[in-house]
Amino acid sequence: MWRDTSNWAGEMAAVFAKEWRCEFRTRYALNTLALFAFTTLVVVSVSLGPLGISFTQGTAVLPVLLWLILLFSVAAGLPRSFVQEEETQTSIALRLAATPSALFCGKLLYNLTLVMALAALITPVFIAMMSLTVGSPGLLIAGLAAGGYGLAAGSTLVAAMIAQARSKGTLFAVLSFPVLLPLLLLSVELTRNAVGGDPAGPVLPQLLLYDASVTIAGLMLFPVVWNP
Amino acid sequence: MLSTHLRFENLRRRFGRLSVLEGVTGAASPGELLLVTGPNGSGKSTLLRCLAGLLAPDGGTIEYQENGAPLDPAERRRRVGVVAPDLSFYAELTVRENLEFFARLRRVPPERGLAILDRTGLPLERFAGTLSSGMRQRLRWAFALLHQPRLLLLDEPFQNFDSSGERTARDLLAEHLAGGGLAVTANPSPLDFDHVAGHLELGR
Repeated sequence: MWRDTSNWAGEMAAVFAKEWRCEFRTRYALNTLALFAFTTLVVVSVSLGPLGISFTQGTAVLPVLLWLILLFSVAAGLPRSFVQEEETQTSIALRLAATPSALFCGKLLYNLTLVMALAALITPVFIAMMSLTVGSPGLLIAGLAAGGYGLAAGSTLVAAMIAQARSKGTLFAVLSFPVLLPLLLLSVELTRNAVGGDPAGPVLPQLLLYDASVTIAGLMLFPVVWNP
Repeated sequence: MLSTHLRFENLRRRFGRLSVLEGVTGAASPGELLLVTGPNGSGKSTLLRCLAGLLAPDGGTIEYQENGAPLDPAERRRRVGVVAPDLSFYAELTVRENLEFFARLRRVPPERGLAILDRTGLPLERFAGTLSSGMRQRLRWAFALLHQPRLLLLDEPFQNFDSSGERTARDLLAEHLAGGGLAVTANPSPLDFDHVAGHLELGR
């Protein structure tokens, strides 16, 4: 039992390490995510700016903009994780060699580190450029962590589902909508509470429940969508 | 002694309206090579993909057991060794990194991959994306033999090889069969090989 778990974890770590090794050599996802995130960040900052929006409006609107920037940056980069395997035909070797659940978790871990790095870079810059006062920084970090995990898990699951389809871009948008909508609503709500200095209330447990549900759904669905 | 054998009966597979496999039957036992020949589009690769568990047949049965234990498609997929033209590796990784990665997924020591690379004569530190077609074929052989499979599924296994590459591949296949392994090989034309025990001609 322990040996099986250790082997499974070894497979997952191998996938995670391979993803980062390939990414550092091509910089495809890093460049896409960073470029998109900073472009939208600058557009939002220049359009609204700290003086162009009142404190009350800022508390209501800015969390939405922050999550939209994160969502679209992720949508531009994360679907590649599985699509590229199909396009370069490395998926055949992966299907032959990898345990599906370990592969899914390795990819999820890689996407999670990308999303977390993006959130860690974007959020402080966004707060500074919009002169946003955060009432509860701890809650904001918790919200970004839970929401970021949900974003990574949901995107990984949808990316796996669309990898073998023909119209990948369209399908990603169509499938992401029902999967990511509840996550975004909860994340925005929690970020609003954090900015306003309000307690988390039931939103944080709901967000964690969403994360757990998407992870379990991913582990159950992935072997079916990945293999014939 | 617990037996290892492969038997498939009445396999059928369609792609839309196109029927590629229609009632294909065959078998292989330890030490035997089943040769599958036929013109382009006759279903040789489709048959091998079905046997590997990479494609689900529309009908018929595939029975593969190792040491007396029957394996389901998922388990069969992880146990077999496959050489196929559409099998690709990570262009951004070196030959050594590719083999080490798949060794970790196959749960075999990375040294096993290096030992096979030594036999196939591949340059360890070359990026897979810069390999010639013959070298890529050598890498496919190394990948297929990495976990010492009992069943090898070989789709045009000697294509793109120079004479030394083909000799090495033939030696590896002969050693595999002599060690009690079995193989199914798809080729457009008959193979000049000692261990051919059965011949299946598709597309007639």
